[in-house]
Amino acid sequence: MISVRPKGPGATISRVLYLLILIAGAIIMVSPFLWTVSTSLKPLSQAMDFPPKWIPHPFLWKNYVDTWKTVPMGQWFVNSSIVSVASVIGNLILDSLAGYALARINFRGKTIVFFVIVSMLMIPFQAIMLPVYIILRDLRLINSYAGIILPQLVSAMGVFLMRQSFLNVPNEIEESAIMDGAGRFRMFWQISLPMVMPAMLTLALMIFMGSWNNFLLPLLVANNQNFWTLPLGMVMFQQQYYTNWPYLMAAAVMVTVPITILFLIFQRYFIQGIATSGLK
Amino acid sequence: MSVVRVARHETRGGIRRWHRKETAAAYFFTLPTLILLATFTLGPAVYAFFLSGVSWNLLNTMHWVGWGTNFKQLLTMPLFWTSVKNSVVFAAIVMPTQTVIALIFAVILNQNLPARGLFRLAFFFPSISSSAVTSLMFMWIFNKLGLLNGLLAWFGINGPDWIGNPRFALSSIMILNIWSTSGYFMVVFLAGLQAIPQSIYEAAMIDGANGLQRILKITVPLLRPSTFFIVVMGMIGTLQMFDQSFIISGGTGGPLNSTTTIALLIYQEIFSYGNVGLGAAATVFLFVIVLVFTILVNRWLGKPIEY
Repeated sequence: MISVRPKGPGATISRVLYLLILIAGAIIMVSPFLWTVSTSLKPLSQAMDFPPKWIPHPFLWKNYVDTWKTVPMGQWFVNSSIVSVASVIGNLILDSLAGYALARINFRGKTIVFFVIVSMLMIPFQAIMLPVYIILRDLRLINSYAGIILPQLVSAMGVFLMRQSFLNVPNEIEESAIMDGAGRFRMFWQISLPMVMPAMLTLALMIFMGSWNNFLLPLLVANNQNFWTLPLGMVMFQQQYYTNWPYLMAAAVMVTVPITILFLIFQRYFIQGIATSGLK
Repeated sequence: MSVVRVARHETRGGIRRWHRKETAAAYFFTLPTLILLATFTLGPAVYAFFLSGVSWNLLNTMHWVGWGTNFKQLLTMPLFWTSVKNSVVFAAIVMPTQTVIALIFAVILNQNLPARGLFRLAFFFPSISSSAVTSLMFMWIFNKLGLLNGLLAWFGINGPDWIGNPRFALSSIMILNIWSTSGYFMVVFLAGLQAIPQSIYEAAMIDGANGLQRILKITVPLLRPSTFFIVVMGMIGTLQMFDQSFIISGGTGGPLNSTTTIALLIYQEIFSYGNVGLGAAATVFLFVIVLVFTILVNRWLGKPIEY
């Protein structure tokens, strides 16, 4: 619709109307975050003021230091980083291998393998938390990093995304390699994989975001607070110090900052990932 | 299929050997993925069917009581029906609302307007935040003396204790969810909008179709693939909602079970009441309603579009 641009006073009025709707929407979307930042900088007594005031007075940056000291935020950051980075690495390797095989190799049973993976797109984690918990318990993975990492190490959505990207690599590029007698792994690693790097970046970002933000899996696996990740730790912190909203909001800001930085740098790839998963 | 054409130059035995090598490579590539998905996704789904027929509290020895016993107990439990009602009402309100809001903003954002990138950023931002962060943020905003009631007081309205009042607790979570997912689906709609051929709009304008007609007669029907994805994902996401209820009610589903969803009930059956069989039966029930709704949506929106 971009190029269709009718002229005249009617068009100007509708453009102004559209802008007003967008501005109202944007305010609704952003103000909870601004309110969070504002609260995180207030003394406790001021946070409780009613009616609420937007600008803290004074700006109490010390809240962040105090929050960091009151709860083991450092440990939670380390845990979240370990779990998220491991999940990203696992998905990059395993999803791209499986996606490559499904896109480029003709093998017996391919249709069944593809169907099985696609059908797993429809099984949300919440629906299977009970049997997953019991399996993790049987494997003695409760209270371990492996217990939080293994269930996130591959994703059906990731395999699907990588398959779509490998399908777009032209056949001719690999044909010369077949003539040279290159094995499948070399063809995957040296020829096809370098051509789908944007999709790999998209995958890495989506998996990182999902893993960093995951609440339920750590809730099931980590009873011991040494294994709490940031979202879980924050909620447990809330149940303990539920009245200290400036501290809680400071924690919320600190949890959101890393993902925000990634998002601002790689916005295009995030959007690409959503658009790809939504189109097919 | 040019890959096969290359191989055809070789002998028959060569082809067979080549095929065998290809199959071996393919399974080598997919095996780790299949094992992990079988262990942590498909396996658990099958396991749930078995567990829904046992009596077990995780500590004693498991014994088989049969599906009839557990399902009969589940289906006569008032709390179970409360959770089903909460989940279905939640899905029935949140899914259509977020879809319509996402569509409206996608259509507007697809116009030639200033600062589109900035608006897209603002709308998308809530969906990159953790459910734990957004739930805590909204608990604070919905507080009796919070930001929302401050805003309402400005209009002379005395706002309720949103989260503490059984009449408003689930609605608060609905508002939170609509707020946090609309932007994500808006991006999906935007991608779909950009795939609609421009020429169709130009032809419609020559025929004298106005803006609203163009949206209803062209945009909405041609967006069906995106709509299908959004409705299915939105439905699955809302029917199995857990995090927000758990966090906002402190794991209890309160006040007065007004925020107990099916997923939260499953969690409570295993971790609070130690009743694995009942939890597994509720799991199977959740599968079935998600499956039934998905089939219905597929009937309704799943047809391929014709230009």
